[in-house]
Amino acid sequence: MSGQGGGARRIVITSGKGGVGKTTTTANVGAALAMRGHKVVLVDTDIGLRNLDLVMGVEKRIVFDLVEVVEGRCQLRQALIRDKRFESLQMLPAAQTREKTAVSEEQMDKLIGDLAKTADFVLIDCPAGIEHGFRNAIAGAREAIVVTTPEVSAIRDADRVVGKLRDRGTPFQLIVNRIRPEMVKSGEMMSVEDVSEILGGVILGVIPEDEEVIDTTNRGEPLVLDEAHRLAAIYGKIARRLEGEVVPLTDLEAPSFFSRLFALWKAG
Amino acid sequence: MRAFETTPVESTTEGQAAAATLGRAIVITSGKGGVGKTTTTANVGTALAALGKRVVLVDADVGLRNLDIVLGLENRVRYHLLDVIEGNVGLDDALVRDKRSENLYLLAAAQAREKEDVDTAEMMNLMEQLRERFEYVLIDCPAGIETGFRNAIAGAQHAIIVCTPEVSAVRDADRVVGLLPNGWSPELIVNRLRPALVKKGKMLSVEDVNAILRLPLLGVIPDEPGVIVSTNKGEPIALDENSAIGAAFRAIAGRIVGEDRGEVSTTTPEPGFFTKLGALFGGRA
Repeated sequence: MSGQGGGARRIVITSGKGGVGKTTTTANVGAALAMRGHKVVLVDTDIGLRNLDLVMGVEKRIVFDLVEVVEGRCQLRQALIRDKRFESLQMLPAAQTREKTAVSEEQMDKLIGDLAKTADFVLIDCPAGIEHGFRNAIAGAREAIVVTTPEVSAIRDADRVVGKLRDRGTPFQLIVNRIRPEMVKSGEMMSVEDVSEILGGVILGVIPEDEEVIDTTNRGEPLVLDEAHRLAAIYGKIARRLEGEVVPLTDLEAPSFFSRLFALWKAG
Repeated sequence: MRAFETTPVESTTEGQAAAATLGRAIVITSGKGGVGKTTTTANVGTALAALGKRVVLVDADVGLRNLDIVLGLENRVRYHLLDVIEGNVGLDDALVRDKRSENLYLLAAAQAREKEDVDTAEMMNLMEQLRERFEYVLIDCPAGIETGFRNAIAGAQHAIIVCTPEVSAVRDADRVVGLLPNGWSPELIVNRLRPALVKKGKMLSVEDVNAILRLPLLGVIPDEPGVIVSTNKGEPIALDENSAIGAAFRAIAGRIVGEDRGEVSTTTPEPGFFTKLGALFGGRA
């Protein structure tokens, strides 16, 4: 979907199930793309339950929100918050005290289209569920990242979302989040292969469970800021794959599969 | 129908003549998804049933149901909540009995329908019917605060708020508390607490969470990887005698029925198997 006549890539980050890491993914992939020099806009579409502002650490700088832009109460540029760490990263916050039905799918599509005129990537953070807020979030997107965790319930919900994306003709890629290699190895957790087999679609990235992530989101500092963090390199690779570069999954990302493979080679 | 009529529901609240024959409908909600609503519903329900209470669990997450998986009943679901509301089948046809407990039933959500298909008045009627038959009706609320949320709380009289020690979860929980009917006094479960991280200052404490929410504390659940295994396998961890999580859910059930009136510990119960194992291998748990 790249290179659509100068407009930005319009990517929704969705999952069906809540709490699998949509907002954390949006923040970190967005920051990773900005660190690579792209102009990026993050859009929080979770009207009434916004959180991307917290994860980005800009909650105290919100003046206007998405609904006010749509209702014509302010200019789009007045509502955009520029990140203090990356010049090329901006975010559009959701309204906190309004309903998701305050915005229509057509309005959202137009809004994202307007943002796409001056950016390289527009990343849309989708609310949990498949109700009005979900339909709004995907309305403005031309491609999707489906985030899931290796849990039966998350995969069933992701499968529902994948079905809806397919019906709409929206291409998608998968991020498997919070994998615990040691549990995959012991057979207590599904592997990345299990997940991609069930859902179909290309794997955009595999992110191991990391207990420090909660701390970084609580502090409003996307972990990619810390280049030494073991997940920073993984988000960096996801950004490169989004640019179109072929970056193989490393053993850090898919230890179960590759370590088994290496074991076979060594044995052979 | 017959099976239920032979076992009248006992009164749990004396002195309330009108409500004496009706059970208690409790919605488990959070705002934010993935904080443990479904796991809590399944485990508190299982623990209540183990105390001899008649319990029905209602999955209100139309289109994204999961409570059946967590209970290991996904292959036994034939009809769902919307089938009952729309009069396609009777309630008895749609209730699925738990594999382990005779006292525990599931009413599954429709998977291929939309939340907007549920009529709020019909939902309230259905919850009242369930309260006539069961002592506890636990309603598993979908994430968010849209139509699905409104329908889930419509037939309830009480709410349990599930929250994790994360700023975003606390903010969403606070929003949900504000959307509950006036006069309710929701109780709080803090889920996925890691005392070791709290000690290091890398995680909010129960006190931090409740400094914002200011709710009566119903329970604190520690974080253990074992819960994912239990969820994937469809075996509620509340039945696991060796699990700290199981113990925490059993304590919550005890508080709900009024057996346990002690102060809730804000640190979590003694470490379970995984915690101990983790400690042995470098304290990752």
